[in-house]
Amino acid sequence: MTGPAASPALRARLDRLLAANAIFVALLLVWLVGAAGSEAFVTPGYLFNVVRQIAPVGIAAIGVTYVMILGGVDLSIGAVISLTAVFCAVQMDGDAANTLPAILLTCLVGTAIGAVNGALIAWSRVTPFILTLGMAVAVYGLTQIYSGGTARGTVAPGFRDLANTRLEGLVPVLAIVFLALAGIGLAIQKMTTFGRQLFLIGSNRQAAILAGLPVRRTTVIAYALAGLFGALGGIALLARSGVSSTSAGQGLEFQVLAAIVLGGTTFEGGRGGIAGTVAGVLVLVMAFNLVNIVGLDYHLQLVVMGAIIILASALYGQLQARTGRA
Amino acid sequence: MALGTAALHPAWRRLDLASTGIWLLLGGVALLAAICLPQFREVENLANIVRQSSVLGMLAIGQTFVILAGLIDLSVGMATGLVVVLTCALVDGDSAMTLPVVLLMLALGAGIGAVNGTLVNVLRIHPLILTFGMLFVLQGAIFTYADRSVGRASAPLQTLANGDLLGIPIAGIAVLLVLAVAHFLIVRTRFGHHLTAVGGHAENARRAGVNVRRIRFLAFVLSGLSAGLAGLILAGRLGTGYPLAGSGLELDAIVAVVLGGTALSGGRGSVIRSVAGVLVLSLASNLLNLMDVSAFVQTFTKGVIVIAVILANQPRRMAMAA
Amino acid sequence: MAHTRRFLPALAGMAIAVLLSTGAQADRAARDAQDAAAARMVDTATFKQDGPYRIGVSAGYMSNSWVVFALQHIRWEASQHDEVSEVIVTDAAFNPAKQVSDIEDLLRQDIDLLLYWPVDDAAIADVLQRAVAAGVPTINTGGGFADGPGTVANAYISQWSLGEDVARRLMKDLGGKGRIIAMLPIAGTTAAVDQLDALNTVLAEYPEVELLTAEYGDWNRAKAKQITENLLQRYPRIDGVFSPAGQMSIGVAEAFDEAGRLDEVTMSPGDEYNGWLKWVAEHKQGGAVPFPTRAGQVAVQIGLKILKGEPVPRGTAVTATFISPETVGEYVEMDAPDDWWASKLPPKFLPPR
Repeated sequence: MTGPAASPALRARLDRLLAANAIFVALLLVWLVGAAGSEAFVTPGYLFNVVRQIAPVGIAAIGVTYVMILGGVDLSIGAVISLTAVFCAVQMDGDAANTLPAILLTCLVGTAIGAVNGALIAWSRVTPFILTLGMAVAVYGLTQIYSGGTARGTVAPGFRDLANTRLEGLVPVLAIVFLALAGIGLAIQKMTTFGRQLFLIGSNRQAAILAGLPVRRTTVIAYALAGLFGALGGIALLARSGVSSTSAGQGLEFQVLAAIVLGGTTFEGGRGGIAGTVAGVLVLVMAFNLVNIVGLDYHLQLVVMGAIIILASALYGQLQARTGRA
Repeated sequence: MALGTAALHPAWRRLDLASTGIWLLLGGVALLAAICLPQFREVENLANIVRQSSVLGMLAIGQTFVILAGLIDLSVGMATGLVVVLTCALVDGDSAMTLPVVLLMLALGAGIGAVNGTLVNVLRIHPLILTFGMLFVLQGAIFTYADRSVGRASAPLQTLANGDLLGIPIAGIAVLLVLAVAHFLIVRTRFGHHLTAVGGHAENARRAGVNVRRIRFLAFVLSGLSAGLAGLILAGRLGTGYPLAGSGLELDAIVAVVLGGTALSGGRGSVIRSVAGVLVLSLASNLLNLMDVSAFVQTFTKGVIVIAVILANQPRRMAMAA
Repeated sequence: MAHTRRFLPALAGMAIAVLLSTGAQADRAARDAQDAAAARMVDTATFKQDGPYRIGVSAGYMSNSWVVFALQHIRWEASQHDEVSEVIVTDAAFNPAKQVSDIEDLLRQDIDLLLYWPVDDAAIADVLQRAVAAGVPTINTGGGFADGPGTVANAYISQWSLGEDVARRLMKDLGGKGRIIAMLPIAGTTAAVDQLDALNTVLAEYPEVELLTAEYGDWNRAKAKQITENLLQRYPRIDGVFSPAGQMSIGVAEAFDEAGRLDEVTMSPGDEYNGWLKWVAEHKQGGAVPFPTRAGQVAVQIGLKILKGEPVPRGTAVTATFISPETVGEYVEMDAPDDWWASKLPPKFLPPR
């Protein structure tokens, strides 16, 4: 460690502060723009509804954040959401008594798929990007085989009613579930050894190996958690809108990734976290709602999403290069 | 370090199934098909397979260049789709318009590649992420231009895609010509040597005086150009500008390249084997169709094949720092 | 690849029918011309041959419950004819280039009859013509009426008549006045264009009904729900909903329900999507104008007639009677999944549930 001159040090600190909090500034800005344009943005009922709308994507994004801190990625998450939504409905089979077992079994399936991803990546030197892309195709095929092309299964009575009730007539249960899961996710990231090791491994893999950190175990756990939160996202999707297709989650992986990258967790790994991801998710959904109100069509939303992924990655990359790595 | 790698190289090559495996696989699949299915052996079926392979063949050749340079290009599928839509919309069945539009589309493909190459150099972000973002931008561009099938391919384009010359599909001949040029570029020119040098170890290549940025830029331009060629053939094959015509082709192209034994980590591979990889994929698809295997199972199988191929093709050297 | 699949269900709509580029004023003349084209008889003599027959089915996509039920109708009808030796199915999974290859592969397997639903009509026009030239009759199954030279006959469903029927029943339930919203499929598809055109035609007779907005929910229940949530913010009063697709109607009704505004609104009839029929049975309102999955069955019947050299019309419209809230009990299956279609399929041919 050489002692840098005072002014570059200050500048580096400012940069670091900016890099860490840019997303929260962006969140505030989007909200202000929204509030200026539409009364709805200052109505609590509407805001909670926005949180509920994005709950499936938000929940899934929590798990993928771990993988990305590690320097990996999980593109199979959309397929996992599709499979678990259909699977959970089939296990429920229209009987309230099945609700809990069905949810547990679904979480198990999601975790298992994630663990397979993790194991394949931990014990080989393959690119997670392409591997999970292949896994997405395989899981999609599995969903089709399992369901035969129709979204089988009947949701247990009471399940969706519970998830869609508003406590005190205002706060939807699903929104609370999302925020609670984000809290748990944050706790795992901040308060466990696993969470700390994620950042160490993500910022310098070789050093982590040399330091004797359990790189493989951490990798498997991270991907398994991504699968678990993916399954919870699938269940949330089921709760929000019922099963109406075998590919309900297809494409959601890109919203997940855009939100995470926006939140400051980069593809290079070693930085970011759940708090940023949640903010990124909220920015994304508010931006999309704004875009809807303005009347910009879905195709331009795609261009915006692509540009976000490229520019946010580039921006955080530059900031990181300037502030230096841990 | 560089010396050690170089000394190890021939030994690895001798052990390397990657360079011979694809030929065994191709022979095996073809033999299996020829024995099991009488329809397979018909000349017309074989011509079909060649025609069905031509679009992916072009893309696999282009993708080999970027992968050899240690990069990747996920935007080629949508670039192909954009070319299909624009070709049909601009030509709209008019044969006289064919030549100018063909030139324009090749320029467009190369242009998309140039943008990718420039951004990778300027923004310094991973090519996976860049081209992944680009995929959305292009998809959005396609749908902003047309949200349904537009235009009509001209007769010359349809002949290119579906016609025969002395009983051989013209599209197949086109792929062979491009393949010959590409192989020559990689094996016989300075550019080719620099390309593999950059893919093998960018820092060493830089020290040896290779202009790494220029090589990366050119690799993307060639990849874009291949998307232009693929789009023209696909336009002729579909006859219409379908917005999602190119969707998913990037993954198939990457799988074909990897199947052909080209390392995803860069520096090692061959365009000829990439095209053999394409033939294996087309044969497998043809075989499954002729055997009446459920499409759902086909999708699942495809995913498993991708995973298996990626696993079998891991980087053979440990990471440099290890 | 996975990322595009978000769009694919959306594109299913484009695939279902021939696309019209005209706006809401698709003129009466075009419809009359289509009716005339559909009524024309086809010369089937060139296709006449003896059995046994191999039927090829080229599915543009299969990950959609309506299509799965239509395919099961094809299998069921084929099983009732001894002269049918085999039904071979390929799935292009929304990839038009693969559908071209699929049809080429089917022709190599010496099929005698080709049933298809396209990813994109124009993309397979050429290969369909090659099929006809090779003596294989082609039948467009389900969706709209296709009049290209590569299509010998159609078992089709008219989106316009469907939309008109739905609109008239909604007007009656509304008592001829009020403010309504329309929930349509994907913008630009025949389904959306024809349904809106039919609605506007009917609305011309009801000056006291105001169409607040027409939205496109892409046949997606979650999307229809989200759009409606936004509309509920925008409009303090909505008296009626025009939504011919039951799958979207459920999403719309749920949004009204969760906003506590279900009482103020009258839902139009949807179709015989089981999830919607359950809603109709519970709320005793709306009903269903069917979009019959037995189009697959009709297609096989037409195909066998062609192979026997019997004359058939170019287009056979597949229709079914209205399911009212009173008769819905005969059709709805409360124990079956939402993503299910009321049909007369025998248990052996029902998809797994």
